Amino acid sequence: MNLLTINGEQHQLDVPDDTPLLWVLRDVLGLTGTKFGCGIAQCGACTVHLDGEAVRSCVLPVGSVAGKSVTTIEAIAENAVGAKVQQAWLEHEVVQCGYCQSGQIMSATALLQHNPSPSDADIDAGMAGNICRCGTYTRIRAAIKDIGQA
Amino acid sequence: MRFTQLVVMGLGFAGFSSTALAADADLIERGKYLTDAADCVACHTTSGGKPFAGGVEFKLPFGSLYSPNITPDEETGIGSWSDEDFVRALHSGVGKDGKHYYPAFPYTSYTLMPEDEVLAIKAYLSSLEPVKNTPPENTLSFPFNQRWGMIFWNMLFLDDERFEPEADQSEQWNRGAYLVQGPGHCAECHTPRNLFQALDSSQPLAGNLVQDWQAYNISSDEVHGIGAWSEAELVSYFSKGHAAGKGVAAGPMGEVVSNSLRHLEQSDLSAMATYLLSTEPQSAGVARPEVKQLSMPTAEEAGLGSKVFADSCASCHRWDGKGTQSPIASLAGLKTVNDPAATNLLGILLTGHSNPEQQVDQRMPRFAENYSDPELAAVSSFVLQHFGQSGGSVSAEQVAAKRGNTGH
Repeated sequence: MNLLTINGEQHQLDVPDDTPLLWVLRDVLGLTGTKFGCGIAQCGACTVHLDGEAVRSCVLPVGSVAGKSVTTIEAIAENAVGAKVQQAWLEHEVVQCGYCQSGQIMSATALLQHNPSPSDADIDAGMAGNICRCGTYTRIRAAIKDIGQA
Repeated sequence: MRFTQLVVMGLGFAGFSSTALAADADLIERGKYLTDAADCVACHTTSGGKPFAGGVEFKLPFGSLYSPNITPDEETGIGSWSDEDFVRALHSGVGKDGKHYYPAFPYTSYTLMPEDEVLAIKAYLSSLEPVKNTPPENTLSFPFNQRWGMIFWNMLFLDDERFEPEADQSEQWNRGAYLVQGPGHCAECHTPRNLFQALDSSQPLAGNLVQDWQAYNISSDEVHGIGAWSEAELVSYFSKGHAAGKGVAAGPMGEVVSNSLRHLEQSDLSAMATYLLSTEPQSAGVARPEVKQLSMPTAEEAGLGSKVFADSCASCHRWDGKGTQSPIASLAGLKTVNDPAATNLLGILLTGHSNPEQQVDQRMPRFAENYSDPELAAVSSFVLQHFGQSGGSVSAEQVAAKRGNTGH
């Protein structure tokens, strides 16, 4: 039995310790905003926050998350930086197909929390590993840059 | 009257045979444990082949050796071996047919095992399904194909003696020393070899290159060996294959963990740790890197290497090398990022490890197909320079050579 704090709420879950967090979020709790992409931490679609750090939930066993606080895309608007990122995403019309975007927003929020005004190189390094098949990278960078300069 | 006698006799027999069966079962169970501890399966099983049926190739500069079939098949295995034959093989390195074995078979370590333990292994092997399989003939060239030459080698390098506990050491220490030196045969890979391919007794556990992987120094030296590890970290490494910031078992050592160490009891693993932490420190081989406060790559580090790291590595290992994603993914503090020859770094990049028995956060994808030699060289150089202090750098030619050696 695992006790998890997800988006500020406590959940008692009867799942094996080695279940990846992503499966718990989507299949057990129905939080389907976080996407499954590659399953081996190579694409970033499943990014969530673990105590404020961006992590790939597809390779994170739920047993290792006990006692830590998980935030998913569903609650990112409650985070001041997260709300700004969402707003900037709308202003720059970043999204095309949208599949990778919940992961992109989670990574961008974590980056800006650590580094409020990132340079282009910081953005490239910080957003690395979040892949977008539509190629929205330039708009992602511009949106993050905007928040950093505001 | 007679009837009662018969019943009593019958009960007597039943009681006797079930005790004998239970004793057999206990012996076989003990034998299985020792077979695991001695990791017999590793050398006597080909990839995808039947367990213990032999045929694993050992490539040497002067030809190839093939491990024999040790299933109880009468013709091709060891089914016709007597107890004496089996004991002689493990204690003296001489087979049933009188042939001398080559020291690829670690009889110089197994010789420390008492006879009853050797016979427990035989009892376990005899309980298995016989497999008919004749491994290929060895292809050693002259003079190495002259097995009698081993008589002289054995005179020099084989002490045909059993393990003797040291009176001034604890029971736990002696248990660990026995497991490490005897069945565990750790030194066979971790001790350098001399000109005669025998273990170099002047540098025990100082590390060696085996199958193009670094079998690191595991003496108690704090910088080059495992002296800075806690006992709990060593036990975690033995039982789970990782100790955050200290080491991750990959390549051949990954197999040792999965075939052997993880099946041993915690008390035995603690004993091995106790013994290893007490060994003579050897300051040789790759040094552990200092753990630096790290973050994003600097402008000087920008290039192909940091780009590949960004695309494929940072997600789990992170720029600070702490692997907050999962402490198992820590790069900071690992010898592998401080080895200027990048031996194990290239090994793991090319082969990955994704054993389905491993937890999802312990698996590493292989990158042999995804990246070219120059890309893998660049990311290896970046990793060495960002996380280590060896100043090493890797060329595309090194990657190509390593591909050849690992078969990828």
